[in-house]
Amino acid sequence: MNPEPFLQLDRVIHEKGRLAIMSLLAATVELSFTEMRDTLTMTDGNLTAHIRTLHESGYVSVTKAFQGGRPLTTYTLTAQGKKAFATYINLLEQIVQQTKQSK
Amino acid sequence: MESNWATEHLQAIRTLMERAAIYRRALAPVMLLAGVVGLAAAVAGWFLQIDSPRAFIGYWFGVSVIPLAGAVFLVRQQALRDGEPFWSPPMRRVTFALLPPVVAGFISSVVLPVHLRGLDANTANVLGMLWLPLGWIVLYGCALHAAGFFMPRGMKLFGWIFILGGCGLFALGIPDLPRATYAHGVMGFFFGALHLAYGVYLYFTEKNET
Repeated sequence: MNPEPFLQLDRVIHEKGRLAIMSLLAATVELSFTEMRDTLTMTDGNLTAHIRTLHESGYVSVTKAFQGGRPLTTYTLTAQGKKAFATYINLLEQIVQQTKQSK
Repeated sequence: MESNWATEHLQAIRTLMERAAIYRRALAPVMLLAGVVGLAAAVAGWFLQIDSPRAFIGYWFGVSVIPLAGAVFLVRQQALRDGEPFWSPPMRRVTFALLPPVVAGFISSVVLPVHLRGLDANTANVLGMLWLPLGWIVLYGCALHAAGFFMPRGMKLFGWIFILGGCGLFALGIPDLPRATYAHGVMGFFFGALHLAYGVYLYFTEKNET
């Protein structure tokens, strides 16, 4: 089996928690912190740490606003994030295909 | 082995993407409100003897504003409480799915009274107090079914009940009953009792799911 696709997997996205965040954001235009936290049943600290990593990698953009006098933070995938996520999915599919062919 | 984790990853991604697209606001209060308003309006309409087609259309048109405004208020309250945007992507998807049949119902309700003027009383009665309400029921069912693609908890099935119920009453033809009693009764059953029953069901099931 060609190990190349596995080696090319983006380590930032490959972590379980960050992959979950990327998957949610890939399916929608934007999500709030609470929406993500409730959907993924993550702790605030865990979610914050993963989002920070994704933000520093340029995959997620953060928007802070106020709604009804309360702070509202929403997250969106950046163009770079969308591209990285699509590449990650393609590599996973390649790995699945390769293993099927080698059987 | 290696393909197993890759397959599992892809499955997990698919599940999460589907979950992100689902509308998650509690629907029980909205359904209960619609049910109570629908039943009360049917009883009031019958008592007040609203029995001309134009009055009937205007009356139910006005009544429909109450649960609609109530639904917006309740959903907005939930969004504020959860610190989430009201006009969220799932909310947008549900709204846009609901829109075509709702707009069709709105336009037919505005246009039909204009055309009723030149018709004889019996034809106007059949059109305004029998076929139009059945049309509303079928269109409303279509709207629920379309929104059901972005909602959990049997919304599509609920839509089908309206579609099949409305079509079934169309198929039965013109009933041998006082027109106003029948018309308000049908509206009360579909927009009142059914919503109330679904609201009660959701009240007990949504709590467990959330």
